[in-house]
Amino acid sequence: MRALSHWRFAAVFITAAFLSLNALWIPAKAELAQWLLERSWNDIQAGAEWSPPWPWADTQPVAVLSVPSLNIRQLVLEGDSGRNLAFGPVLRGSTSSRDLVISAHRDTHFTFVRELEVGDQVSIEIAGEKRTYGVSFQEVIDTTHNALVIEPGIDRLSLVTCYPFDAIDTGGPLRYVVTALPLPGET
Amino acid sequence: MRHAQGNTSSIRDQLEQEARHLYPNLYQRLARRRGVKQKRSLRWQDRTLLIVAAVLMMALLLRGEPAFAQDDIEYGIEWSGGTATAVNTQIGIEITGMVARAEVTQVFQNRGSDWAEATYRFPLPEGAAVDQLQIEVGNRVLVGEIQEKQTARRIYQKARNNGQTATLVEQQRPNQFETRLANVAPGEVVRITIGFLSTVNYRDGEFSFQFPMTFTPRAGGSNQRFELETSPRPMLTSWADTPSPASTHQLDLGISLQTGLVLSKIDSRYHDVDIHPTTDGYHIFVTEQLARTDRIFELTWVPELGTAPQTSLTTWEDGDSVYALLMLAPPLQDEVAPQPREVIFVIDTSGSMEGESIKQARSALLHGLAYLEQDDLFNVIQFNSGHEQLFRNPVMPMTAELEAAADYIEGLAANGGTNMGPALHAAMTLPASTDHLRQIVFITDGSVGNEHDLLLQIGEELGDSRLFTVSIGAAPNTWFMNKSSIIGRGSHTHIGKLDAVESAMADLWNHIQTPALMNIEVDWGMDSEFFPEVIPDLYAGEPLWLYAKLPSQPREVSINGLLVDSPWEQHAQPLHSKGNETLATLWARSKIESLEDSRLFGTDPQWIREQVTDLALDYGMLTAYTSLVAVDKTPARPARQNLRSDNIPSLLPAGSSANATGFSATAAGWKLQLILSFITLAIASGLFFFPTGLLGRKSASTRQPMAPSTPPCRAIPTA
Repeated sequence: MRALSHWRFAAVFITAAFLSLNALWIPAKAELAQWLLERSWNDIQAGAEWSPPWPWADTQPVAVLSVPSLNIRQLVLEGDSGRNLAFGPVLRGSTSSRDLVISAHRDTHFTFVRELEVGDQVSIEIAGEKRTYGVSFQEVIDTTHNALVIEPGIDRLSLVTCYPFDAIDTGGPLRYVVTALPLPGET
Repeated sequence: MRHAQGNTSSIRDQLEQEARHLYPNLYQRLARRRGVKQKRSLRWQDRTLLIVAAVLMMALLLRGEPAFAQDDIEYGIEWSGGTATAVNTQIGIEITGMVARAEVTQVFQNRGSDWAEATYRFPLPEGAAVDQLQIEVGNRVLVGEIQEKQTARRIYQKARNNGQTATLVEQQRPNQFETRLANVAPGEVVRITIGFLSTVNYRDGEFSFQFPMTFTPRAGGSNQRFELETSPRPMLTSWADTPSPASTHQLDLGISLQTGLVLSKIDSRYHDVDIHPTTDGYHIFVTEQLARTDRIFELTWVPELGTAPQTSLTTWEDGDSVYALLMLAPPLQDEVAPQPREVIFVIDTSGSMEGESIKQARSALLHGLAYLEQDDLFNVIQFNSGHEQLFRNPVMPMTAELEAAADYIEGLAANGGTNMGPALHAAMTLPASTDHLRQIVFITDGSVGNEHDLLLQIGEELGDSRLFTVSIGAAPNTWFMNKSSIIGRGSHTHIGKLDAVESAMADLWNHIQTPALMNIEVDWGMDSEFFPEVIPDLYAGEPLWLYAKLPSQPREVSINGLLVDSPWEQHAQPLHSKGNETLATLWARSKIESLEDSRLFGTDPQWIREQVTDLALDYGMLTAYTSLVAVDKTPARPARQNLRSDNIPSLLPAGSSANATGFSATAAGWKLQLILSFITLAIASGLFFFPTGLLGRKSASTRQPMAPSTPPCRAIPTA
């Protein structure tokens, strides 16, 4: 009898271990990718045209997003796709646009977004310059009826993540959007 | 515990030995049922389990996140200007015989308070010849003209800067177009009508016309917003939220169908339609409220038995020359016997196939297997970043092989890049078998960036093989799939949804199992210019259309070919009829297509460009080098007011695993998985602390005395 229960225990335990590893692999990957991205970002800063963070990547970091008050520094990837979102925040649209929209998972990189308050400083290094913004608005949007509007000429930064923050299931239609405008005195 | 067991083992040993002699079967059953108590066999199982667990975990850790070779062009409108804009689409299609003349009218309204410029990207059917553009602004009507691309751009730029309302339609890719519209006043409604010609498909006694629709912006119910504070970022709300001046619908689609044939069936594959008979045909309307217009529109119609088209020649004379259309009907299926084939299934398992697409592909493959005959050979190759062959060499479809293949197919998952080249190379360069015709059935969504390299590769490596492409998903790259099947001398099948798989694969199979008419030559007479120049194989149930420009009206056209190594001949007399002026445009289109294709085989691109540009200007067609431009003569926008910008992404194709447009799915969901793992862990600890369970313990104690205990290790006939 004992052996049988050993068996059961082993099977269930291994399933549990497998599940938890599978789950933890997501945030681990998110962290690990940031570390690899940091390297390719340094390469790019040093003048490399194209420096994929891992050999089979089809994207590379294009910006650094930082929130000094929350001690956040994250590398932003080019190309808004589900795959890229696993590794870091992604930039929607072109780097030359002044109107930036950055999205990330609410349960990996953008956990901090819920803590952003109006007035918080957010800065971004992109296209060879550092821009600083102040958070001005927060809102929740239903994506089934609304689309984001990008106006390339307007200086603005929006951070987009899923809402509600603590929902267990994924794939809901709501998004939390924090918009930051350039701080007075910054260009 | 273990100690106690040790003590009793000698007595048990004897009992066991006896029991074993008396009831060998019982003993084995018991041993099996109980699980095994001995240390050594436990270890064996533990080891296996540990190895399995370790392998699983390694696989998990090493699970790559490879590159995504998908070009994500989004159809939709992009405004540089007003904050709230809307678009409404009306499509009118007139099908006469084999030609479809379509008019797409888009109604734009600038609902912002600034002057706007809009960019709108849209797909059109395969091989559409765009030749008309008309804009209505207020009560002015502007008619577009064909200009060389750069010239058209300059005209547009100038008008744009002068504040004149202007439109430019450019071709971006063979089946993708972009409209730009400058200087739309705040609140102004603009109607843009684009007209094009296209041909109807005919295969296996069924006509069909497809219209890609993923460009239509979505409609929806009421608008729910949870505002925390006023938004500085303009949100584009869907059209249905506010009444529009034109219609409350997003899209009106009407088709007038005049076939001249008695029809037994009319069917719309992906949309609900209403069909009204008219004096000379039918009127068909899409009745759906267009909750989702993210699918291709497809209309099919079947003529009554015996009225299927025969080989026919239609001509039209414009004074200088005669334009001719020859429809070549294939020999009837029962005239020829099937021949043994070697079927290589190549399936795309790249990341872009994720979701509904891979399900359709798997199902298509399984259906394909079912059609194999005894003397056929087959193999399966899957590819993503790399490729994998199921069998080293093609095998006969015996039960074991078919089962192995089915298991393999069931296990296919979409992940990784799209590296099509090596897989196609593997399929096309397998050593040729002398008595089997090799047919490659290539199942993919065709989302690749290096289309031209691949087409070139197919042309070079094809040899005696034939390539049949099966495109999967709601928005496949049909241009590429079609072209590769033409170069591959096979045919192209589209599967748009899961329940269409069976009929589509049945069609494909009917089609490829009978030998084709090969080495076709058409004698058009002197000084004729005809396209395509190299006539592809003619398959049962699928006629060919050939276009020619002739110096004078032909008396007869003769067609020769080879059907299973014996000569085959047909003659066609011209049917002179009115209203065939579209033949000129269609001929020009086929010539342009043929010129464009010659690029793949090394023709000087500059020469092609010049040729195509001249032809397009002569025949008034939109091509890669010519655009349609229309300018309002009077400036509309006062010089001191500026143009400004927004962006409305369109619907994602149905079946894609993304779930929001305009926003990414921004929740990884690992916490849910973690919670599940904790629950499992709790069960595991339950098992650990109450090993036999409450019930188990009770029954164990009652059973203990009478049960012959498990024998010691050496007595067990393990493995």
